[in-house]
Amino acid sequence: MSHIHIDVENLTYAYEAGVPVLQDICLHAGENESIGLIGANGAGKSTLLKLLVGLGTGFTGSIRVEEIPLEKKTLPKIREKIGYVFQDADAQLFMTTVGEDVAFAPRNYGLPEEEVEKRVQTALEKTHISHLRDKAVYKLSGGEKKLASIATILSMTPHIILLDEPSVALDPQNRRNLIRILGEFDHLKIIASHDLDFIWDTCERVILLSGGRIVRDGSAEEILRDRELLEANGLELPLSLTGR
Amino acid sequence: MSSNKIDGAIGEFRSLDTSANQDQWMNRLHPLVKLFLTILYITVTVSFSRYQLAGLLCMAIYPLVGFTVGEISFAGCLKRLRIVLPLVCMVGIFNPLFDREVVLHIGSIAVTGGVLSMITLMIKGVLTVLASYLLIVTTSIEKICRALRLIHVPKVLVTEILLIYRYVTVLLSEAGRITQAYSLRAPGQKGVAFKAWGPLLGQMLLRSMDRAEVLYESMCIRGFSGEFPGGTSLRPADSKEARRAGRASLCWLFFWTAVFLLIRFVPLAEWLGGLFV
Repeated sequence: MSHIHIDVENLTYAYEAGVPVLQDICLHAGENESIGLIGANGAGKSTLLKLLVGLGTGFTGSIRVEEIPLEKKTLPKIREKIGYVFQDADAQLFMTTVGEDVAFAPRNYGLPEEEVEKRVQTALEKTHISHLRDKAVYKLSGGEKKLASIATILSMTPHIILLDEPSVALDPQNRRNLIRILGEFDHLKIIASHDLDFIWDTCERVILLSGGRIVRDGSAEEILRDRELLEANGLELPLSLTGR
Repeated sequence: MSSNKIDGAIGEFRSLDTSANQDQWMNRLHPLVKLFLTILYITVTVSFSRYQLAGLLCMAIYPLVGFTVGEISFAGCLKRLRIVLPLVCMVGIFNPLFDREVVLHIGSIAVTGGVLSMITLMIKGVLTVLASYLLIVTTSIEKICRALRLIHVPKVLVTEILLIYRYVTVLLSEAGRITQAYSLRAPGQKGVAFKAWGPLLGQMLLRSMDRAEVLYESMCIRGFSGEFPGGTSLRPADSKEARRAGRASLCWLFFWTAVFLLIRFVPLAEWLGGLFV
């Protein structure tokens, strides 16, 4: 087993007292894994991702990122290691131009301008949107916004990336682009989605959530081909596996 | 407010952002220089006495040159400021009623102190608005805020300015979405029915708060800790281009500071007038 990057033990979380959204979650993720977090709407996928990056307080249990326990005082350190891509790209992009937005994190971490410039260029090249550098964010298409929001994360050179519903609103070409970009990211990535075809294309390991609990944790091959299991948890076989 | 008007307002915001981020000579000047000159210009303009019309008119040279060098459309400026300028012009509208003493004659027409001070006030207002517009249209809000931090304006205040600017568009876009959804289900109805105002405003506020929170979260997970990072350019500080922009900024600063002080303290208009009389 590779070095453990994320270690979650008995995590329970509720937005309202007495109504837990996540219950007794245990998750161990190694450094080069690609993990798909699947489940029907309201299963707790997005909440789990948000907790991993420290967006949510008052959980019970423990979260450790690269051996560092997730606490208020360790948040800056942990957030340097994790890049989180929001479901809604509009929520991620807030600066005026793509270049400024991609430079936001490296500048916040106090890097010299030369290094910021280098990181911005690399992140834009990796996502194939160098030509959009000076373009105003509001002028981007949905697919471009998604790629730009991934670039804003890559410029942090994170050890881990978390993506919440990354394939939503992407056309086939941008979807293929995104799959390729994720394939090139050779660190730990956790992708929450109910687009099982996307998960099939990008992940080797799958965790199935239902009602805030982990129902199954195993290989993509084993879980995504299990029609009964998927249907019992409000999902369906990926289209690419149905033979249609 | 209809969704079209809201879209128009958002469009105005965005076009200002676009103008501020253009790669023009004026835009490349250091933001601190532009901010300092704007403050100095406003201070000098406001410091003219209410009867010093000639000197004040000379101050128009800064926005005129700025608009020309920055390739800024004056018509576009007037269009954007169509609501503000009449309000500015209304300042001092009652002066002619209070100050009726004749202070000069133009031919056979007697001009009272009230009329003169009204015109002076109007010109002061218009010039200061134009100078502020010149700053905004050539400098992005991030750069203005960084310049404010360079002069040690408290970070809480600067961050507030920046976030308010960002959240205004969030609020407007939410308002646009809600009114659009409303109008699609209320065909033929003009405006929003009075009884729907409460729920609509409530929804708009709640949704805007949600979106603002997500934006803030997005900033936090990228290392935001209450202060926007330094640096005013993405280009390396020691590049040839940056050095050239630095030199140009210094020249611009010294030139205009000298011009403002000259206009303020030397009666240029009277000298020029004397040449022709």
